[in-house]
Amino acid sequence: MCIVDIQNVERRYGSVHALRGVDLRLSPGTIGLVGNNGAGKSTLLKILLGLLRPDSGSGTILAEDIMSSGRNLRGRIGYMSESAATVPMLRGVEFVTLSGDLYGMPHRDARRRAHEVLNYVGLGELRYRRLEEYSTGNVQRLKLAAALVHDPELLLLDEPTNGLDPAGRAGMLRLIEDLIAETGKSVILCTHLLGDVERLCQQVVMLDRGRVVHQGTIRELRHSIRSRYALNWQSRNGHATSEHTDSEHTGNVHGDAGDAAARFLEALRNGGVETHGTTNWADQVVSVPADWRSARFFELAAEHGLVLTGLVPEEEDLERAFLRVTTEKAESETQAAAAGEGDRGN
Amino acid sequence: MGIDVANYHGWSGRQVSPWRACAAMVRVALLQVFRRKSYWIVLALGLINFFVAWSVIYAVTQFQLPRDAQRELLKAFGFDLNPASGAENGYIMFMQRQSLIVTILLAFSGSLLVGGDFRQGALPFYLSRRIDRRHYIVGKLLAIAAVISLLTVLPALVLYVEYGMFTSSVEYWTSQWRTVASILSFGAVQCVVLGIMLVTLSAYLQRTAPIAITWTSAFIMLRTMSGQLREATENDYWDLIDPWRTMRFVGRLCFGGDLEGSERELAWWSLAVLATACTAALILLVRRVRAVDVVE
Repeated sequence: MCIVDIQNVERRYGSVHALRGVDLRLSPGTIGLVGNNGAGKSTLLKILLGLLRPDSGSGTILAEDIMSSGRNLRGRIGYMSESAATVPMLRGVEFVTLSGDLYGMPHRDARRRAHEVLNYVGLGELRYRRLEEYSTGNVQRLKLAAALVHDPELLLLDEPTNGLDPAGRAGMLRLIEDLIAETGKSVILCTHLLGDVERLCQQVVMLDRGRVVHQGTIRELRHSIRSRYALNWQSRNGHATSEHTDSEHTGNVHGDAGDAAARFLEALRNGGVETHGTTNWADQVVSVPADWRSARFFELAAEHGLVLTGLVPEEEDLERAFLRVTTEKAESETQAAAAGEGDRGN
Repeated sequence: MGIDVANYHGWSGRQVSPWRACAAMVRVALLQVFRRKSYWIVLALGLINFFVAWSVIYAVTQFQLPRDAQRELLKAFGFDLNPASGAENGYIMFMQRQSLIVTILLAFSGSLLVGGDFRQGALPFYLSRRIDRRHYIVGKLLAIAAVISLLTVLPALVLYVEYGMFTSSVEYWTSQWRTVASILSFGAVQCVVLGIMLVTLSAYLQRTAPIAITWTSAFIMLRTMSGQLREATENDYWDLIDPWRTMRFVGRLCFGGDLEGSERELAWWSLAVLATACTAALILLVRRVRAVDVVE
């Protein structure tokens, strides 16, 4: 069963197209929602919370119709907002109890659960302190407790590590990690910090200018990365080709080994391999096409009198993957638009 | 600090009506108000009037004075306990005299109870729960109503009960039931009008100083202006710009006060003025408390 299954969701604010044909199918688990400012994350969050009705589209969130749900949906979701979102002059336990009351719990249950969840997030000893006395890290924990109080099916965490120092951030991430592991709740984590997503999430949704540019597991995203390798070689007589350069800074290559390296790289390019800049001619980062066989590196090296001493697949981190995916999407849209213009011109 | 797994048991109870959340909002609002020492001072000032009236009633009834002498003495303290109607009586006069302190208390409460929600981001906290705009607005109006009632309706009812008790007269309570009705109706009008105005003003201005300046200007200056203009022009319709008088007229209209001729006409005009002002304020308020503000 999908927790979120929406099709072709559109939302406009006047002339601004906030969401364009968004299709999402999210399975239970931990999902990262990432995107630049203005990508449509907030609008999507509002729709997921049942606060905003899409202009068009259809689908369900926790099996509730997005066009008719709202309050009922919010009763099943725990939302931890990015902003401070606390009520002044209250004590911790009163704040979490109020959250339970607002989620529709009977008051007695809300009060009992408030004590439980405050213990659960490690604020048991601070529960009777005024909110003004809480540190930023503890306010984040308190907000998490307030989102958990009614035992929701889905937790929606908006920038949970926002404003925390490194130790506080590590603590918060550990808390969420433990929470997911212990309770098995589904979590949608909305953040700019891709490191947090990488650490906590199994699935990721990338938004860019109102469109979903990638959705799937993080493993799939990594698999979809165009394979990159770091190559290292030496001449057959045992010298690294860099030893034959006059200057590593200029990269001028002299001698047979240097020529061999240049020819080897040329052969790689002819085979569809993309070479990336490097400071040393003895190693090179390359991207290979989909049908490339690794053995081909060795064959080409041997043909040019070189021996491969290193062939290490390079793993793209989520940040680079995000930039690549968004850039590729933007390029393809530009090309499509240009092609459309051309067709109209003809 | 890690998590304490032993304390997580889940919850599988049945969710209740979102209107019940309004009661929670009132409870929290009273906690917020009573945790400020400055509010206790304002409340204490507001209750001075009550203690004077309470003491006068006590003294007059315990001295066993003749009925007429009692009335005269009470009148000397501005407290007429022998109303011909349920509306024009000492309890209503008492509530009217509380207007200054109510204005001051509300000027400061607005920023704490409503302005802070907008300024410090508590609005997302409320609206992302299982309530919507209606529940939030009604909850806040009830919270303001509770604060107003503490200074007006509740003390007036206590004085009514006190007079009946000290004169050992159940007959007083039964024969003067319209007094209770008029206290409640005037209180209800005050709570609705002042609540809507204050919540709207606080939602827009948010900070204490601008709210206090605007609020006191509207409710104290208009009152002064109304009186002077009425005297200068000898036209009673200037009463319509005094919020307290319009509320009093409407209160009397709601619960059958003896209104005759021009007074009745003025009361209907007051109702129209207040209804227009409240409708405009409500429209502005609903626009301000937009659910789309929840996720910033």
